[in-house]
Amino acid sequence: MKMSLNIIRYFVPKTKCHFSWKNPIIQGTIQYTTASGSSDVFNNMTDWETLSKKKKISKAMKAYLERAREHDDFMKKQQFEYNIGKRHLANMMGENPETFTQKDVDRAIEYLFPSGIYDPAARPLMKPPEEVFPARKAAEFDEAGRPHHFLFYTGKPNFFKLLYDAVENIQQANNFEDRVIRKKATPDPNGKLDLGGSVWLTKEQLEMALVESITDLEYDNFKVVMERLVSLPYSYRHKEFIEKHRKPLASQKFALEIPKPSYDDEGKAYITTYECLRKKARGDVTIKSPGTGKITINGKDLSYFEDTQSREQVLFPLIFTGMQDKVDVICNIEGGGPSGQSGAIRWGIAWSLRSFVEKDMLEKMQVAGLLTRDHRRRERKKPGQPGARKKPTWKKR
Amino acid sequence: MLSRNLRQFCRRYSQSTTFRTSQTSPSQHNENQIGMFYTIDANLGKQLFTTGGLPKSFMKQTKTFTETAVMVRRPALDLMECIKASDMNKPVVRYVLYGEKGAGKSITMAHLLHFAHEQGYLIVHVPWVSEWLRRLPRHKEMSNSQTREGFVDLPLDAASWLLHFKTQNQLILKQGDMKLSKTYEWSKRESSEAGSPLAAMIEHGINRVKYACDVVDALVQEIKILSNNKQCKTFVAIDGFNSFFYPLTRLNTPTKKKVKPEEVTLTTSFLELTKNDWNNGAILITVDELAVPEDHQESFLPKYLLYKKGFEHLDPFVPIEVGRYTEKEFLSCASYYRDRLWLRGPPEIETELKFTSTLNPFKFMEQCAPL
Repeated sequence: MKMSLNIIRYFVPKTKCHFSWKNPIIQGTIQYTTASGSSDVFNNMTDWETLSKKKKISKAMKAYLERAREHDDFMKKQQFEYNIGKRHLANMMGENPETFTQKDVDRAIEYLFPSGIYDPAARPLMKPPEEVFPARKAAEFDEAGRPHHFLFYTGKPNFFKLLYDAVENIQQANNFEDRVIRKKATPDPNGKLDLGGSVWLTKEQLEMALVESITDLEYDNFKVVMERLVSLPYSYRHKEFIEKHRKPLASQKFALEIPKPSYDDEGKAYITTYECLRKKARGDVTIKSPGTGKITINGKDLSYFEDTQSREQVLFPLIFTGMQDKVDVICNIEGGGPSGQSGAIRWGIAWSLRSFVEKDMLEKMQVAGLLTRDHRRRERKKPGQPGARKKPTWKKR
Repeated sequence: MLSRNLRQFCRRYSQSTTFRTSQTSPSQHNENQIGMFYTIDANLGKQLFTTGGLPKSFMKQTKTFTETAVMVRRPALDLMECIKASDMNKPVVRYVLYGEKGAGKSITMAHLLHFAHEQGYLIVHVPWVSEWLRRLPRHKEMSNSQTREGFVDLPLDAASWLLHFKTQNQLILKQGDMKLSKTYEWSKRESSEAGSPLAAMIEHGINRVKYACDVVDALVQEIKILSNNKQCKTFVAIDGFNSFFYPLTRLNTPTKKKVKPEEVTLTTSFLELTKNDWNNGAILITVDELAVPEDHQESFLPKYLLYKKGFEHLDPFVPIEVGRYTEKEFLSCASYYRDRLWLRGPPEIETELKFTSTLNPFKFMEQCAPL
């Protein structure tokens, strides 16, 4: 009995606390009395006692308030500096500081500090501070040490709130379905939820959104619950909630980018792919259709490559698509060794063949990894050891 | 057991129409048999090729296939036509086979050897010149020539070649109408009298290895004289001839002096033989990239491989290219390999092999081996 009353007492005055926390004792009392009108006098007495104890601000709250203030100051300063910097940058670039957007900032930074650093994250940048400094969880309890969130003691309030909301939505959807059935109406055929173009947030994305770390099991539970919600016939009524936790799929752009072949004097369709790279080899590949399966590499035929493996590399895309007798291949390649050169030609042929094959074959080619560039390069030798990774032979002494 | 034999028998003769010809006589081969395999009789093969003549990898394969099957190809047919049509009273014609590595120059030469043997030619065949000049086994016998100043003898090589010559020409030498034209004095006690049979001199060279090189020299002169006298017609076949003209050999004299090919007595003898100052014969020569070190294998054309000296020595000659397989030859070869169970698997692999081997016969053979 006491337990239940305590719970009620803890979260009923929650909203009030935000607006006026100058005198929580009085507020609490008022709320308390209204919430439990029929409680006995004994209970009333004890509550006064506890509340008078909570007059003092808890240590945790004090520390938090200190931290929050510092953070706010810091962010304010950063924001100020960012705005000043942006204005300076706009003046440097000779543009209007008022209409200078973040996009312009990025462009200006790229122009003023050109960088060839491989990882884009390591290049110079100027972003608004809220993007640069990660969001921090706001205070989860008031100055009396009382949590705001009704699920605070689960340890992961935001996550379990999400599950809670999902279940709430499921129940609403079920209730709605019952009502529809009772009225003997038919469901709206246009109301179908189309989720083909998106996927559930990944674990990392969900963690970012919730500002909480979750386990794999919890993530699986999230997916199970959401799938259950989606499977209901009236889930479209909760579209907003569902889409908040989905991410649109990266559209497969290459289908649109496939170039149309050009035609030469003899009326043959041809496609040239420049910049076929692999290891240190660079070259270009031209594919002519219709052809007879003639392969020319730097003016020689396939015997340009001595070893069988390289020859097979070159042939693989042609045999995979069954085009070995239907097209002619002309390559110019330089740099690197046989395996790099053959790899570059393989990619070039596969890339050019996109214009000549069917769509389902294109997908097969992608699955087979033919359209993927191999970015691996030679790894440098490290001092103190004989190779890139190889360590000297271990000798006891 | 019986059923297995029967099955093998069936397998052997079921497809015989497509890739095998029963015509075992090379002189009867014609256009219709291009791309088909014919089998060289085992005894004859032994006589012609036991002491060299077929490349080692091919020999291995013949052992596996338990038959020596050679494909009838265009260059061989052309050569036979030419030899048949040539006038024997004119100076000898020199044919030079050339082509890239593994194209089948030596096999073509083997085919021609069979042809020459059938036609009753006296065969002077050098299986691989580099064997003498570029191959250095642990005990390579070398000595300074007794008869010629500043020359180097390869007595063991010369003796083994004499043996090769003897086995290849058993029948002709046995007939005994070939006599020496003059007396050769080997030493105070040993000599070959004028009018004694040629075979005796060869036998002397084999037994007295010390004189083998001089015997080869004498033999070359005698063969020229005999051919000019129409006592025999001669077919000279030298494989890897360009080795004679590569500036250096791998041989060293005991004083560590590098030996040039023209300082070897065997070289002089065979260069003498390949001059066209005699008639009633034919000379077939191959130039091969494999006969020279790897850093001088930029081209397979005779002009590059023979150097100026060799080219002038041979000029004029008839160049004949041995190329890669044609489509038809390739298919016939593939079905032959399938018949020998050398190639298995689905028929699609043939298209792939066609590309990966680039229709090069040797490459194709090599790539089929693990399949």
